[in-house]
Amino acid sequence: MTPILPAERPRLSPRARLQTDRVTGKPIVLYPEGVLVLNPSGHAIATLCTGNDTLAEIVAKLSVQFGVSPATLLPQVTDFLDRLRSKNLLAIASQGKEES
Amino acid sequence: MVSATPRPFSLLAELTHRCPLHCPYCSNPVSLPPAREELRLDEWTRVFNEAAELGALHVGLSGGEPLARPDLVGLVAAARAAGLYSNLITSAIGLSRPKAAALKSAGLDSIQISVQSDEAPLADKIAGTNAHATKLEAARMVRELGFPLTINVVLHRLNIGRLPEIVALAERLGAERLELANTQFYGWAFQNRQELLPTRIQIDAATAAAFAARQRLQGKMEIIFVAPDYYGDRPKPCMHGWGRRHLTVNPRGDVLPCPTAGEIKSLQFDNVRENSLRWIWTESSAFNRFRGTEWMPEPCQSCEFREIDFGGCRCQAALLTADAANTDPACSLSPFRQKLIAFVESIQDVRTNSPAEASSRLSYRQNPK
Repeated sequence: MTPILPAERPRLSPRARLQTDRVTGKPIVLYPEGVLVLNPSGHAIATLCTGNDTLAEIVAKLSVQFGVSPATLLPQVTDFLDRLRSKNLLAIASQGKEES
Repeated sequence: MVSATPRPFSLLAELTHRCPLHCPYCSNPVSLPPAREELRLDEWTRVFNEAAELGALHVGLSGGEPLARPDLVGLVAAARAAGLYSNLITSAIGLSRPKAAALKSAGLDSIQISVQSDEAPLADKIAGTNAHATKLEAARMVRELGFPLTINVVLHRLNIGRLPEIVALAERLGAERLELANTQFYGWAFQNRQELLPTRIQIDAATAAAFAARQRLQGKMEIIFVAPDYYGDRPKPCMHGWGRRHLTVNPRGDVLPCPTAGEIKSLQFDNVRENSLRWIWTESSAFNRFRGTEWMPEPCQSCEFREIDFGGCRCQAALLTADAANTDPACSLSPFRQKLIAFVESIQDVRTNSPAEASSRLSYRQNPK
């Protein structure tokens, strides 16, 4: 698994569903036989994984949202996305071509 | 137990016990309720909503064969409306492309198809009917429609040697998840355990093959390998504890902590036609009987693993020791352990039987009237 690159466009896998847990009120990602409970930053990242923005663009948006420099955010966001990928919850498109 | 009642995370909805397959390890009860007693769509809709209110996130739409329900599309829509992540647990017999497309439109999230082996002759022998080719065709169609696909294979002496080929089949079918589940010996499987329990040599080889495949396919296909508890020293943490994370509702509405708990004859299970799911989950005597650790006898009571494996499986304790409150004999500390070991040792020298030979000795699952 090669690390995700700044020019690639991550998108939540069709097998993943982002919703709110009605018991705890926390954001969660549901997938076959599993659930991932997101913290606020994970939720912010996952919400931007629509396939429209590149990783670099996502980091730029989060940088504005949280007032943290892109250089600080990039490794954190990459790390979170790699975790999603290791669970097969992320699809990645580069130049319109998609691979998982 | 003093802490608050836990929430359930998943509901297994056994929509019917009717099934076109006759697998000799079926997890359905040996005596099946008549089809006319099945819960109706409006009753299931209430169950889904009540389960979601309790905290359930996942629903497995299972059976029997859920496609035997003519109202399955409505059932899927009801699960989706309740906010549940739905998985259709199916043999794929009856899963036409229009039906699958209708289920997708209704909000079905994922599909799990059982296969009995990687090749038709053995697979069909195990299923007791010619189903393998139809299943593979359905699996490909399901992927074309964009469903996440889980392939489930129950492992036993007849097919466990083909584990690498089974993994390869799941890869070819584009499965994102593969469940390699060793047979658990209750009900039908218990009746057939003489023919189904793999030898130690088979288990060791399969375990190594499963771990190698898991490494190789990480991030591509999730591989679950459920080891057989007959070969372990510690019991499985069955259902992660009784009434702790999971509930099963059977076709006529009995609510169970697991699909086989109905076989524990000393317990009275309540029904959704008479009580709310919340009452059954939090208050009923059956769900509270084995919650927490206070009910445990020795050696469980003072065991450091008591909140890790919860004393193992209540159904297995009932089946092998005639008392559901005993320590699961799959635990090396159980006073009944020797009986289980004696059985395990008794099958080590069998040569791996040919499917034809074995099938003549298997008792195949029958259908409800």
